[in-house]
Amino acid sequence: MRNAERLCLAHFWVAFGAFLFACVLGAWQMWVRSPLGAKIGTPGDYFMSVTAHGVSMAYVLTTFFIMGFGYFVAVTALNRPLPGWIWAWGAFWMGILGVVLALISIGSGHASVLFTFYPPLTANVWFYIGLVLVVAASWVWCALMLVAMHAWKVDNPGRPVPLAMFATVANAVMWLWTTVGVAAELLFQVIPASLGLVQTIDVGMSRTLFSWTLHAIVYFWLIPAYIAFYTLAPRAAGGRLYSDTMGRLTFILFLIYSLPVGMHHLLMDPEHGNGTKFIQVLLTAFVAAPTLLTIFTITASMEIAGRLRGGRGVFGWIATLPWKRPMVLAIGLAFVMLGFGGFGGIINMAYGMNAMVHNTSWVTAHFHLIFGGSVVIMYFAIAYEIWPRLTGRDHASLAPLRLQLWLWFTGMMVMTLPWHWLGLQGQWRRVSNFNYADPIIAAWGPWVVVSFVGGIILLTSAILFVWNLVTLHRSEVSAIAKPLYALAVHPPRRVPAALNGFGLWNVLVLVLMLLAYGFPIAQFVIEPSPAAIVHRVR
Amino acid sequence: MTEQRPQQSDPHVLDQPWRIWSTIAVMGIVLVGILLGVIVIPVVQGRSAGIDAFTAICRALGILPGSPAVPQFTDRTPPTPVSQVVWTPDVLQILARADVAKGKAKVQEVCIACHGENGVSVATEYPHLAGQSGAAIYKQLHDYRTGSRVNPQMTDIAKALDEAVTADVAAYYAGQPQRNLNPVTLAVSPPAIVQLVELGDPRRNIPPCASCHRAGAGGPIEAPVLAEQRDEYLIQQLKLYASGQRRNDVYGRMRLIASRLTDEEIKGLAAYYRAGFR
Amino acid sequence: MSDTPHEVHESRILRTELLWAFGVGIFVAASLSMIVFTALTLNVNPPSNVERIDPKTLHLSGEFAEQNLGTTVFGDGTVIVRAIATQFMFVPQCFAVPANRRVTLRFASPDVIHGLLITGTNVNTMVVPGFVAQVHTEFTRTGDLLMPCHEFCGQGHSEMWATVQVLPVDLFKPGPDGRVSCAKR
Repeated sequence: MRNAERLCLAHFWVAFGAFLFACVLGAWQMWVRSPLGAKIGTPGDYFMSVTAHGVSMAYVLTTFFIMGFGYFVAVTALNRPLPGWIWAWGAFWMGILGVVLALISIGSGHASVLFTFYPPLTANVWFYIGLVLVVAASWVWCALMLVAMHAWKVDNPGRPVPLAMFATVANAVMWLWTTVGVAAELLFQVIPASLGLVQTIDVGMSRTLFSWTLHAIVYFWLIPAYIAFYTLAPRAAGGRLYSDTMGRLTFILFLIYSLPVGMHHLLMDPEHGNGTKFIQVLLTAFVAAPTLLTIFTITASMEIAGRLRGGRGVFGWIATLPWKRPMVLAIGLAFVMLGFGGFGGIINMAYGMNAMVHNTSWVTAHFHLIFGGSVVIMYFAIAYEIWPRLTGRDHASLAPLRLQLWLWFTGMMVMTLPWHWLGLQGQWRRVSNFNYADPIIAAWGPWVVVSFVGGIILLTSAILFVWNLVTLHRSEVSAIAKPLYALAVHPPRRVPAALNGFGLWNVLVLVLMLLAYGFPIAQFVIEPSPAAIVHRVR
Repeated sequence: MTEQRPQQSDPHVLDQPWRIWSTIAVMGIVLVGILLGVIVIPVVQGRSAGIDAFTAICRALGILPGSPAVPQFTDRTPPTPVSQVVWTPDVLQILARADVAKGKAKVQEVCIACHGENGVSVATEYPHLAGQSGAAIYKQLHDYRTGSRVNPQMTDIAKALDEAVTADVAAYYAGQPQRNLNPVTLAVSPPAIVQLVELGDPRRNIPPCASCHRAGAGGPIEAPVLAEQRDEYLIQQLKLYASGQRRNDVYGRMRLIASRLTDEEIKGLAAYYRAGFR
Repeated sequence: MSDTPHEVHESRILRTELLWAFGVGIFVAASLSMIVFTALTLNVNPPSNVERIDPKTLHLSGEFAEQNLGTTVFGDGTVIVRAIATQFMFVPQCFAVPANRRVTLRFASPDVIHGLLITGTNVNTMVVPGFVAQVHTEFTRTGDLLMPCHEFCGQGHSEMWATVQVLPVDLFKPGPDGRVSCAKR
C-alpha cells in the first residue's frame, strides 16, 4: 500500500504545484489587462504567461490529478494492489519530463502560442514534444486502468464493477478516444511544421482535429468530480446513493456524447457546412442530459442523508445536512456554479446566441466558472477527503478547509459574473491590454477591476489550499480508518454487461464519430484546404 | 429431458434489451440530426431564397460554398497581374535549401561594393544586411526584379539575378552573425518610443512594431529585422512609405502606419533600432 | 410517503428517475426545437461558407487584391464588403455599410487564424486562412461600431481592430464605381 500512496501523492503534488503556479500567473494577467495595470507588461510577457497558465491548468493540473485519483480508486475501490506499478512510475516520470520540456520552451519565449496552439502559429518543437509526453503518460494510465478492471472482473465473475472504478475506466476509455484528434494533429501536421520539414499547413484540418479533442477533454476533467458526486459525497453526508444504475448510465452517456460534439467549438468557422454543424449541435443537447440526471440523483442522495439526520418537510432536509464537512459544502457550492455554468453552456450551443458571445469574455467566463469553479472545487474536496488516507494523518480542524472552499466559490463568482456581462457587451478575449481611452472600452473598466478582485480572492484560496495540504502532512492527529465509498440504496447484485463494461459503447462511439466527424475530416483528405504558411514563434 | 431456459439473471438475457434499445436510441438521435441538419433545414431555407434543394443540401454539407438560405455572391472581378512575391511551398523550400556558398560568391561579386563584405554597408544610403531575415531579402530582390519596388541601382542588379541566386544571397546574409550587441552601449530610449515599439498606439490604431519586427514574434515572414539598421535608411524608408512612393508592403500596412507617425516619432524609432534594441 | 429510505422500493426509485429523465428529455427537445424553429422560420444559421481560397496568393487574387477591398455596391443593389484580416490590422481599417439593408461581408486571411465580431450586432466569424469567411446581416442602428480581432493571432493581436460606420440611407452614396468609403470625421 505504501507504494500506491507515494504514487498518488506524487501525482497530486505535481498537479497542485502547477495549479498554484498558474493561479499566480492568472492574477498577474488580470492585473495587466485591467485599467490598473495598463502600462505594465509587454504583449510578449502576457502571452507567455497565458500560455503557461493554460498549459498548467488544462494539461498538467488535470492530467496528473486524474491519474493520481485513478490509481487511488483502482486500489481502494477494487481492494487490490495496482497491476504494473512500475509502468505507473515510468509514466509519471515521462509526464514530468514532458512538463519540464513544455515549461522551459514556454519560459524561453519560444512557445507563446497559448494552450490551444492553433496553427499556422507554430512553437518550438520541444513544446509539442513535452505535450506529447504528457499525453503518452496518460495513455499508460489508461492501459493500467483497463488492466486493473479486467483483472478484477476475471477474479469476480458476474459481479458488478464498483461504481467508482467503472466511472474511472469510462473516463480512461473516453480519454483514449479523445486524444486521437490532437495526437493526429500534432504528429502529422504540427510537429513536422515545427521541425521545418514542411513550410505550409492545412489549417482547416488542424482546427477540425483539435476540435475533436477540445470538447471531450473537458469531460475528461469533469468526470472525477462526478465520481466524487456519486461515490464519495453520499457517504460523506451520511446517506446513500439514490441509484447506482443512474450513476453507471451517467458515465456511459458522457462516454458516448462527449466525443461527437467538438464541432460546437467551430460554429463560427467557415470551413464546415451548416448541416454538419447542426448534427453536432443536436448531439450537444444530449450531453446536457447526464448532468441534469446527476443533479436529480445526487440531490436525492443528499435528501436521504438529510432526512436520516432528522430533516422534516419538503426542504427541511437541506438544513440538517452536515455542511461542516468539506465534501458536503463543496457539493453545494459546485452545484450552484454548475447551474450558472451549465446555463451558459446551453447558450453557447445555440448557434444564434453563440454569435453574440463567441470569443468574447463570455467564453472565458464560462469555462473558468464550469471548470475552474465546479470541477476544481471538487478536486479540492476529493483531496481533502482522501489525503488522510494517503498520509495517515487527519485534519486538526476543518475550519480552514471550509474557508478555502468558500473563498474559491466567492472568488470564482466575483471573477466570472462580470466577465459574462462584459462578453455580452462585446469585450473580446486573449488581449494583453485594452485601450481604456476609447469610450466603449472605458465603460468596461470598472467591471474588469471587479473581476480582478475575484482573481485575487482565488489566488488567496489557492495558497490556502496548498497550505491546508502541507499542514496535513505535519498534523499530529492520526487518521481513523473509516469507509470512503457510498453504498447505494439498492446495491446491485447483477448488472447487464452493458453497465459493467464498454464493448457495446465503444462500437456506438465509433459509429457516432464516423457519422459526426467522418465527412468533416474526410473533406480535407479528398480536397485539402489551400495550405497556409507556417508562422514560427521562435 | 428438461429444456434449459435462460435465467432472468443470466447476463445475456439482461444484456439484449440494452444492446437493442441503446443502439436504436443513439442511432435514432443521430439520424434525426442528419435528417434535420442536412436535408430538412437547408431545403426549407432554400425555398424561401429560391435555391433548389440539391444546391441547398450541398451548401449545408460544405460541398458548395455559400449558405442554403441566401443567394451566393459570385465574384466577377478580373484578376490582377502578378506583381509581388507569393510564398508558395516551392519558394519556401527554395529558401530553406539555399546554397550559402554560392550566395557568398555572388555577394563578393556584386553586393559587397555597397552593402559591405560582412553585410555592414559602406555608406549611409545603403542598408546593413548582416543577420537580416532571408525571406525579407528575397522579397525585396524579387520586388526590385518585378518592379514592385523601384530603386535606380537595385532594379538593374536584381534583374540580373535569377530566383535561385536570389535565395542563395538571402540565405548568405541571413546567416551572417548579428552585429555586436553590447548592452552597455545601448542608448536609453525615450519612454514614448519604447511604448510605440512594445504596445503600439491604440488611438491611431497602430500595432506594436515589435509584434512584427522582433525575431521570433511569429509575425509576417517577410518582416525585416530592424535592429542595428542605419537610422538614416530607416527614416528614408518610413518617409517613402508615408508618401506612398514605396508600395511593395502587402496590403499597405507599412504605408498606413508610417503615414500616421510624426516626424519626431520616425526619428525616435530609427534611433531606437539603430542602437540595437530588438 | 415515508421519510426513511429503507422502505423505498427499487421500483419506486426507478419510477422517479424515469420521471425526471422524461423531464430532461423535454428540456433537451425544447432547446433543440427552438434552434430548429428559428432555423426554419428566421433562417438563423451559423456562418458557414466552405469556399476555398489560397491564402498565399490572396493579395494577387481578383477579389481580395488591395484595390478591391472595402464596400462595393453592385448593379443589382447587392452590398458586398471585402476585408482582409492580417497580422496586425484589418484592411481597410474602416468601412461603411448602409443601415437597414442586407449586407454580405466577406473576409479572408493571408496568414494566420483571426476572428472578428462587430459590437452590438450578430456579426461574428472566424477568419481561417484557406477559406473565405462570409456573413450575411442587416445593420439596424446607425453609428460607429467596433470590429476587433477576437482570436489570438500573434503579439499584435490586442491592437487589431477596425471601425464599421453604419450610415443612414441618405448618407450611403456609392461612387460611379460602386465604391463607398468611410466618412471622414
